[in-house]
Amino acid sequence: MFSRVRSAFMNVVGGIEPVVGMKDVDGPSDERDRHRHLPHKFPYTRPHFLQLHTEEEIAVTADHHIRPIIVPRDINVMPWSAGYAEAVNAGKSMLNEDQACIHRGLLTRQDRNSSDSHKAPSLPYVYFGIFDGHAGSGAAVAAANQLHHIIHEKLVDIIDHLIPPVVQMEKSSRSGLSFFFPGKEVSKESLITGALESAFWDMDQLIGEDKLKYKVNGGCTALAALFIDGKLYVANAGDSRAVLVRHSRSQPMSYDFTPESERQRVRRLAALQPELLGNEYTHLDYCQRPVQKDIGKRILYRDWYMTGWGYKTVTPSDLKLPVVHGEGKRSRVLATIGVTRGFGDHELKALYSNIPIKPFLLCQPEVKVLHVDDEEEWSEEDVLIMGTDGLWDVTSNERVAEIITKSFKQFPQDENRNKYRYTSAAQDLVMSSRGKLTERNWRTSEGKSATIDDISVFVIPIVDYKRDHSAWLEQNKALREQISANMNSINSNVVVERAVHNGHPQDEEEEVSLESVMNGDDEIDTSAPLRLELQ
Amino acid sequence: MSYAYLFKYIIIGDTGVGKSCLLLQFTDKRFQPVHDLTIGVEFGARMITIDGKQIKLQIWDTAGQEAFRSITRSYYRGAAGALLVYDITRRDTFNHLTTWLEDARQHSNSNMVIMLIGNKSDLEGRREVKREEGEAFAREHGLIFMETSAKTAANVEEAFINTAKEVYEKIQEGVFDINNEANGIKIGPQHSPTNPSLPSGGQGGMQGGGCC
Ligand SMILES: Nc1nc2c(ncn2[C@@H]2O[C@H](COP(=O)(O)OP(=O)(O)OP(=O)(O)O)[C@@H](O)[C@H]2O)c(=O)[nH]1
Ligand SMILES: [Mg+2]
Repeated sequence: MFSRVRSAFMNVVGGIEPVVGMKDVDGPSDERDRHRHLPHKFPYTRPHFLQLHTEEEIAVTADHHIRPIIVPRDINVMPWSAGYAEAVNAGKSMLNEDQACIHRGLLTRQDRNSSDSHKAPSLPYVYFGIFDGHAGSGAAVAAANQLHHIIHEKLVDIIDHLIPPVVQMEKSSRSGLSFFFPGKEVSKESLITGALESAFWDMDQLIGEDKLKYKVNGGCTALAALFIDGKLYVANAGDSRAVLVRHSRSQPMSYDFTPESERQRVRRLAALQPELLGNEYTHLDYCQRPVQKDIGKRILYRDWYMTGWGYKTVTPSDLKLPVVHGEGKRSRVLATIGVTRGFGDHELKALYSNIPIKPFLLCQPEVKVLHVDDEEEWSEEDVLIMGTDGLWDVTSNERVAEIITKSFKQFPQDENRNKYRYTSAAQDLVMSSRGKLTERNWRTSEGKSATIDDISVFVIPIVDYKRDHSAWLEQNKALREQISANMNSINSNVVVERAVHNGHPQDEEEEVSLESVMNGDDEIDTSAPLRLELQ
Repeated sequence: MSYAYLFKYIIIGDTGVGKSCLLLQFTDKRFQPVHDLTIGVEFGARMITIDGKQIKLQIWDTAGQEAFRSITRSYYRGAAGALLVYDITRRDTFNHLTTWLEDARQHSNSNMVIMLIGNKSDLEGRREVKREEGEAFAREHGLIFMETSAKTAANVEEAFINTAKEVYEKIQEGVFDINNEANGIKIGPQHSPTNPSLPSGGQGGMQGGGCC
């Protein structure tokens, strides 16, 4: 009996109280034993860009007494010198259960008539992801290792929209385009959004399947930022958060999904499918929870379709526990879980019962889009902040903007050190929420309680992406012109002749180096006209 | 590898005095001629022997840069030993010692052993701070003192090891509470049944047993 209670107790996840030994729990013990013997698909590690190579180094970063703020050792591995910092929890779980990933991708069009991939137009993108694990690190590790690959596949799937074929583009008129945009016009934006949404779905499915073959414990929230095609897409499922700090002001780029914020959705589902509640929970909410002696009395309640309160007479079924219970950070679904979106948790059961929790969870992200390319004025100080709840529980959006602004201001302005400013800012944010150990407690510099949770933060400069994108636009335009010129020359036996700087036209046929265009080398003067002469 | 004790150290002092170089020389026996600014903390570890006992030193190298001062301060508390470093070729780094020491005393546990280090002793020709001045400062404030060179490795071993000897003596005298890891001392895994072990590879490496 004791072990049952203990294992149920250890199933409580996403809590703010330190749950000693909360780990590695997967339902009934026989099931757990079987699970224990499964191999890992991915070993536990810290984010790849931190370059921690040995188990010992990883163990040292998880020192619960020091809670060191870890930053990348080599800033040059970070796109745009983006900042990252993390700190382990104060002992609520042995390992840091947050994970993060950065991926630079390139979508390349393989046209039938050009076998040489150097000549194919391509679209670069940069991805940042953070995952806050609970009840084990398996799901978060799985997401950090795989979500970007799934997203890449989804983007490849819509490559005709992202990188229209050069030749058809040039030759066809409007009607030709409709081949790629059948029926009603679908924007690239909605296709990329769809790619992210379906990638999140597939990721969750994959974790579910892998749980049968591998040891993938727990669940995780997921927050991904994708810089592509001149825009920033932020996809969020869970209570991590993305905030844009612009002109020292904060602007939310995601919405927190918690039992509290998703109260209505969860209660509606409970009302429509009461069998999910196993006769132990109710979809109703009470102003004050009724007890045995209240039966027959009138109390204030609300159904799932109400935001205000009404009266009802208490019946025995009102004594059940509300499906969403508790306020704020303490709110729980089925008295067990404190997050309502993300990956994993397929096997998770409600506290003291055998009721599956997964049906109440969603892996669907909300996607927000920022048109980076539409706006001219991005400064070096405009950044996207991505953080797990360890950051936001203590440091508000406004406070984050203040800290960032102050951090940039006091960071020494010289060429050698400039690239460290985003790392330094990320570190200041982690410091703000982690605070310092005083006596036995972690306290912020204002003397408030600091978080005892894991903290992970990205600080990503927007202007660098804008710059990269503008450069890509030019290169891409030049490349397309080259390719279509080449195509024409092949098709109609045309001599391509390039005007040279000194004004002497070269007489021989010349291979234009498309590779150099791709690489952004300045070898080709793209403003120099290509003269096409029919023989 | 098993050890009897693990001591946590921090290295503090102005930017550019050679903190990261001292650590690198001690752990890797290498010298790094270009200044790689430390952002926050770096760490290194090495095993030493004192009194026939294996002792593991876990060393936290902090950032000397003013902008990181409040973060640096937050690492004092968990350390059993500190190397306070100045650069013998830059007087200002010596002048700042008082501030560093006040900081360290205020934010560390009171038993922390502090070793004062005058680094870059190989640059005799550019010396701005006399050896005697360093000695006098140390005497006045009850610190141990050494001049080192992270470049030639002169006295580097000694600096780390002498600090450890001092910590070890304090343990023998019963001054340190060795059962509270927050003081920067940990008893080796073989030597204590209740000690949390390192993750033994693989996620969720711990089975049942809690930590902290
Ligand atoms: N000649 C000589 N140069 C040294 C010695 N120790 C360090 N240096 C040089 O001094 C510079 C700074 O050394 P670091 O170890 O990076 O300085 P630091 O104290 O870690 O500086 P921060 O990380 O900014 O706090 C580097 O260029 C080193 O090569 C030494 O003993 N002799
Ligand atoms: Mg350094």
